[in-house]
Amino acid sequence: MTKKQGMRSALMALAFAGGLMATAPAYAEGTLTISSPQDPGSWDPVDTFLVNWSSVATNIYDGLTYRGPDAKLVPGLASSWEEFDGGTRIRFHLREGVTFQNGEPFNAEAVKFTFDRLMGDEGKKGPQRSNYAAIKSVEVIDENTVDMHLTQPDPVLLTKLAGYGAMIVPPKYIAEKGEDYFNAHPIGTGPFKMVSYEPKVGLTLEAYADHWGGAPKLSTIKYRFISEPSTAVAELQAGNVDLVIPPTIPIGMIPTIQEDENIDIVTTVSPTVYALRFNTGNGITADEKVRKAMIYGVDRQAIIDSILGGQAAPIASFQGELSFGNDPSMKPLPYDPAKAQALLKEAGVAPGTKIQIDIRGNDATFNEVAQAVASYLQVIGLNATIKPYETNVLLNDIIPAGKTGAMFQQSWGGWTLDYDNTAYFMYHTGEKWNPYDSDPELDKLLESQRAITDRAKREEILQSIAHYTADRALEMPLYNLNAIFGVSKRVKNFTPVPDSRLRLTEVTVD
Amino acid sequence: MAGFLIKRLLQAIFVVVAVTLIVSFAIRLTGDPALMLSQGAGSITEEDLARIRESLGLNQPFFVQYADFMLGLFSLDFGRSFLGGTQVSALIANALPATLMLAFASMFVSIVISIPLGIKAAISRGKWPDQVIRILSLVGLSFPNFWLAIMLVLLLSITFRLLPPSGMTGIENFIMPAITMGVILTATNVRLVRTSMLETLQSQYIMVARAKGLSENVVLYKHALRNCAIPLVTYFGLQFGNLLGGIVVVELVFNWPGMGTLAFEAVGARDYPVLQAVITVLSIMIVGVNLLVDIAYGLIDPRIRTE
Repeated sequence: MTKKQGMRSALMALAFAGGLMATAPAYAEGTLTISSPQDPGSWDPVDTFLVNWSSVATNIYDGLTYRGPDAKLVPGLASSWEEFDGGTRIRFHLREGVTFQNGEPFNAEAVKFTFDRLMGDEGKKGPQRSNYAAIKSVEVIDENTVDMHLTQPDPVLLTKLAGYGAMIVPPKYIAEKGEDYFNAHPIGTGPFKMVSYEPKVGLTLEAYADHWGGAPKLSTIKYRFISEPSTAVAELQAGNVDLVIPPTIPIGMIPTIQEDENIDIVTTVSPTVYALRFNTGNGITADEKVRKAMIYGVDRQAIIDSILGGQAAPIASFQGELSFGNDPSMKPLPYDPAKAQALLKEAGVAPGTKIQIDIRGNDATFNEVAQAVASYLQVIGLNATIKPYETNVLLNDIIPAGKTGAMFQQSWGGWTLDYDNTAYFMYHTGEKWNPYDSDPELDKLLESQRAITDRAKREEILQSIAHYTADRALEMPLYNLNAIFGVSKRVKNFTPVPDSRLRLTEVTVD
Repeated sequence: MAGFLIKRLLQAIFVVVAVTLIVSFAIRLTGDPALMLSQGAGSITEEDLARIRESLGLNQPFFVQYADFMLGLFSLDFGRSFLGGTQVSALIANALPATLMLAFASMFVSIVISIPLGIKAAISRGKWPDQVIRILSLVGLSFPNFWLAIMLVLLLSITFRLLPPSGMTGIENFIMPAITMGVILTATNVRLVRTSMLETLQSQYIMVARAKGLSENVVLYKHALRNCAIPLVTYFGLQFGNLLGGIVVVELVFNWPGMGTLAFEAVGARDYPVLQAVITVLSIMIVGVNLLVDIAYGLIDPRIRTE
C-alpha cells in the first residue's frame, strides 16, 4: 500500500517536472503512435472481450453496421436493412465492390461464414458467442443479400453487429491459412491493415487505400503495449507516443499532463458508471430504509468535484447519459444527512453498526472514493470498513458467489450503450451479477422489453426499470466517469470515443 | 568429482520438479480462467463456461494437466496462452533473452562498480574513503528500485531527453534499467567485496607477499582478490536468482518485454500455461546457476570436490 502511494507521488513529481521542458518530436509524416494498456493476444473477433482489442480492431475490421463516436448507428458493410416476421428476420443489403485487405471479395458468403463461425465450433471456444445467442442462422439470398434468422427478436442486435464478435472475416483466407495464423495475422475490410505484430510489445497498421469509405489520412499507426500508466505518460511527455488511450490515465495524473504545453487531456462521456451496490440479501442493507438512508448520507456531488476533478457526472440510476433507457428527468437523491439519520433510527439501526465495503484493490481513484463514502457514513453513524480485493477475485469469486460485505463496488459500461445490457445482468433473478435479489415484478419488466422492437415503447419500459430500481434503492449510484485520452498536440482531427472503439481514418499528424 | 556432480544434479532435478508441482497446483487455486475470459460478457451460462474450460483443457484432472505440462517440457512445448492462444514457447523465446540481457547488463554494471570500490574501502579501512563508500552503499541499499527507475526516467528521459523512457529497441534502452538494477546490487556487493577483502588481507600469505617486496597492486589483485573470489563467485551466482525475481518491477516501469512483464500479466489474466512456463524456466535457470556455482567452487577450490 505504502509502496503504491510512494509510486504515485513520485509519478506526480515526474509528470510535473516533465511539464517544465519540452521540445517538438520529429516523425516521418503520417505515423501515429498509440500506447495501449493491454495486448489481447489474439486479433480474432470471436476470441476476446477486452476493450483494447477493439481499440485496434475497429481499424482492421468492419461490421454490417457501424457506430462512430457520435453513438449513432449507420450502415457499415450493409448499405441497408429491413426487419421482417416480427423482428425475427433481418434482411441485409450488402455494399458492393468491397474487398478484404488481401483482395478477397466481400459478399454474402463472407457474412454467412462469419456468423456460422461465431455460432459454431470456433465461436464456442471463445466468450463472444453468448452475446449473439439470438442469431439462429444466416441465409444467403443472392451475392449481395442475406437474411439473418433470429430465435427471438433482439432489439440490441443491430448495435451488436457494429463491433466485437460480429466483425466480418474473410472465409478463403481463414480456410487457407488456418485459425492460428489468423489470430496473429488478421485480415478484414477495414481502413487499416495489420502489417506486423509482436506479442506483448506492439504492432503496426498500414493504411488500406482501397477501403470502401475512402483511404484513411494516416499512412501508419503504431501501437505499443504499455501497462504502467506512469510509463505511458512518460513516453507521451518524451514525444515517443502521440496518444494514450483509456483505460490508462488515472484522474490524479490529469493536472500534471495539462501543465505540459505539448500534450493535452481530451475527455468524453463514457458508458462507464460506478456504483456501490447493496447486499440486499442479508444484514442491515436488506432493509430498503437503510439503503435509502445510506444514499442520502453520502454527498456524491462533493466526491465528483473533489476527488474526480469534475471528470464525472452524477447518476440517478446505474447508467450514464449515453445509455438508451436513461431518463434525464430523473434526479439523484439529494445529500441529506439529517434525513439519513432519521431513516436509520426508524429502521432500528444502532449507531456505530459495522458494515463492510468491498472494492477493487488496484483502482487507486475508487479507493479514495470509497474512503470518502466511508467517512460520510461515519457521520450518519455507520462504522464502515473498506475491504480491497484483487480485481479478478472480487469479480469472479466474491460477487457472483454472494460473499460480499454490505456494499460492493461495481463498475459497468457496456459498449452497446443500452440499459438492457446493464439492468438485465444486475437485476434479473439468477444472473451472475445479481447474487442477492429476486424480484418477480422486476424480472417481468426486464423480460418484457427484450421482445419489443418498437424503440419508443422499449425506452419507456427501460426508463421505468430505472425508476423501479431507484425506488427500491438497489444500489448507491455514484457517477458516470469520462473516458480520458492523453493526446500530443501534433495530432489533429482526433475525436475521443466513449467506448474504446477507436477508428482513426480522419486523424492527421503534423 | 563425478560423485559430487551426480549428487548435485539429482538435487537440482528434485528442486525443479517440486517447484513445478507447487506452482501448477497453486496457480489453480487463484480462480477460474473461464470466468476471467468471459468477464466482459453480461450473461454467461454454465454451459458457456464449460465449453470455454473444455477448449482450455481445464476439464481434465489436475494430474493429467500437470503430466501434459511436464511431458511438453521435454519438447519445449509449453502449451498455449489462455489469452489469445499464442504458443507459450514463442512468448518465452521473446521474453527470456530480453530478461537475460538485462540481468547480465545489471550484473556487469554492479561488478564493474563494486570490485574497485570494495577493494578501495578495504584498504582504507576506517579512513574517509571507506566511510564514504559505506555510507553510499547504505544509501544505495535503501533505494526502492522503482523509485530510482522513475527518478532516472524523470531526469534522463523527460528533463534532458537523452534516453527513451521505455521499451527495448536499442542499446540506449539498456542504460537506465541496467543502472537501476546494478546500483541496487552494487550496494550489497561493495560490502561483500570489502568484508571478504579485509579477511583475506589479514592472512599470513599476504604478509609474506608484502614481505617479499611485491608491489601493492600485485598483492591486491593477484594474491588477495583471487583468494577472496570464492565467496564472491558464490554470492554473485546466488544473486542472479534474486536478480531475476527483482527484475519484475524494473521491467514493468521500463515496459521491458521480459519474463517479469510476462509473468505479471499472466497472473492478472489467470493465464496458467504462461505463468507455469515462466516460473519453470526461471527456476530451472536459478537451479542451474546454483549448480554451476557449486561446480565453479569445486574447480576453484580442490578441497570442496573431494569432500
